[in-house]
Amino acid sequence: MAETANPAAQQSTSLFVIFFGTVGRMTLNALYPFAQVAAMIVDTLNWVFIKPFGGHGLRVRAAVREYVQFGYRSLPIVGLICFLLGAILALQTAYQLERFGATRLIATLVGVAAMRELAPLMTAILLTGRSGSAITAEIGTMKVSEEIDALHVMGINPTKYLIVPKFIAMVLAFPCVTILATAIMILGGMSIGVFYVGIAPNVYLNVTAQALSWSDFLSGMTKSVFYGVVVCWVGVYRGFQVTGGAEGVGRMTTSSVVTSIFLIILVDLVFTIMFVVPA
Amino acid sequence: MSTETDHILVVEDLVVHYGERKVLNGINLSIRRGETFVILGGSGGGKSTLLRNLVGLMRPTSGRILFDGEDFTAMDDVERIEIRKKMGMCFQGSALFNSMSLEDNVALPLREHTQLEPSTIDIMTKIKLELVGLGGYEEFLPSAISGGMKKRAGLARAMAMDPEIIFYDEPSAGLDPIVAAGIDMLIRRMQSTFNMTSVVVTHEMASVDLIADTVCMLKLGEVEAIGSPEELRQCDKEFVRQFFERRAEEDDNDDQQAFIESLTE
Repeated sequence: MAETANPAAQQSTSLFVIFFGTVGRMTLNALYPFAQVAAMIVDTLNWVFIKPFGGHGLRVRAAVREYVQFGYRSLPIVGLICFLLGAILALQTAYQLERFGATRLIATLVGVAAMRELAPLMTAILLTGRSGSAITAEIGTMKVSEEIDALHVMGINPTKYLIVPKFIAMVLAFPCVTILATAIMILGGMSIGVFYVGIAPNVYLNVTAQALSWSDFLSGMTKSVFYGVVVCWVGVYRGFQVTGGAEGVGRMTTSSVVTSIFLIILVDLVFTIMFVVPA
Repeated sequence: MSTETDHILVVEDLVVHYGERKVLNGINLSIRRGETFVILGGSGGGKSTLLRNLVGLMRPTSGRILFDGEDFTAMDDVERIEIRKKMGMCFQGSALFNSMSLEDNVALPLREHTQLEPSTIDIMTKIKLELVGLGGYEEFLPSAISGGMKKRAGLARAMAMDPEIIFYDEPSAGLDPIVAAGIDMLIRRMQSTFNMTSVVVTHEMASVDLIADTVCMLKLGEVEAIGSPEELRQCDKEFVRQFFERRAEEDDNDDQQAFIESLTE
């Protein structure tokens, strides 16, 4: 630690030293965020899975409070958007499938698309905007107003106190909201199938049920758990990166949402390849 | 270490860098148990950095900080938590948790670090808030009280664990003279009632005479002078005298013509 901060190393002007010094510093600077994220991940997992068994409690009540905030309170907006998306999807497919007289396949398409892809993705993107940004703003504001420092000085670990309840809440809230989002999206598709195309409700539901398999369900759920992990960690990491005042909080909140959505799509791609290619 | 038992905090050759910039350059000082130790210095003199090192919010480049003879700088985070239970800190912006009432703010360290009954914690919290003159404000949120009251609430929270040493970062910054004097009185009272060691970082000369047993003056990351307020008052170093007499840096500004020329160049 002493070496990195020692300006005496700069005294030497030989080209060799300057070249390797610059390359070394650039490499270290580029790798530093990854090291920070890795440290944060290890620390969080340690406080979630290992420390509670060593007598360090979990803040269950705080986790429940966060769960209500992230999950329950987001249901109206997630429900509304997913219902509309289900309807749009059904309309778009009806328009194509009518030409082949295969309108019953609307149910199949909406059901599979919702469960495997659209419901987890939409839930994740909506919760990023709603909760990921809130996590960054909360932690960022606490950092700016020295509240994080106050925790350190009081001997309270910020990971245990701040991150762990959010992490647990997010990892539980994402799949739970996704299940409801899937159901509502199928309902949205059904509303079009029944009232616009004229499929009988029980037929629509039967076709949907036949089309869906456990592997579809598991694929959607696995994705949503990982989306939750990504949104939480990006939110927390960006929050701790805040420097300066209110402007810094705003900048990092924006950055948190953008990074989260990018990583969600990336995770989506990876999991889709994993689930689709072997089949 | 036996000679240091009456010293609660000893700093040896403390060097701190911000990136490539050296902010503290070989600080040596020792703080006696029960005294009020004031760290004085201009802006950018390194006093906040010194304080952040003393409470362990930063790790120094080199040097040692001994708390009760134990090397605080070499400890890992778990060992530090034990030491930190003996420390309290009042932040410049009071750093109260904005989402919690004053009562919850003060009770937080007790809830986290002790196995006390909730009813006991309630009583202890009330006592601490009474102590700083905030009895009856238990349910208030930090946003609903004034700056001076926030400072008092910050002090109540710092006192929650009955620390041996308490650190104040610019306790009277941003307060009117009457409220600031009230905070100074409070610091004095805590020290005399509980025989608590206090370390105060400030640039308010008015506070110094009122509260200080020992004054340490920092200039550009080095200890310029150290001693009782009277000793420093008689010190003949230019920087110390300037500070005590509240004189500006002597430069060409006396020469009006040169000053105007420097502006129009």
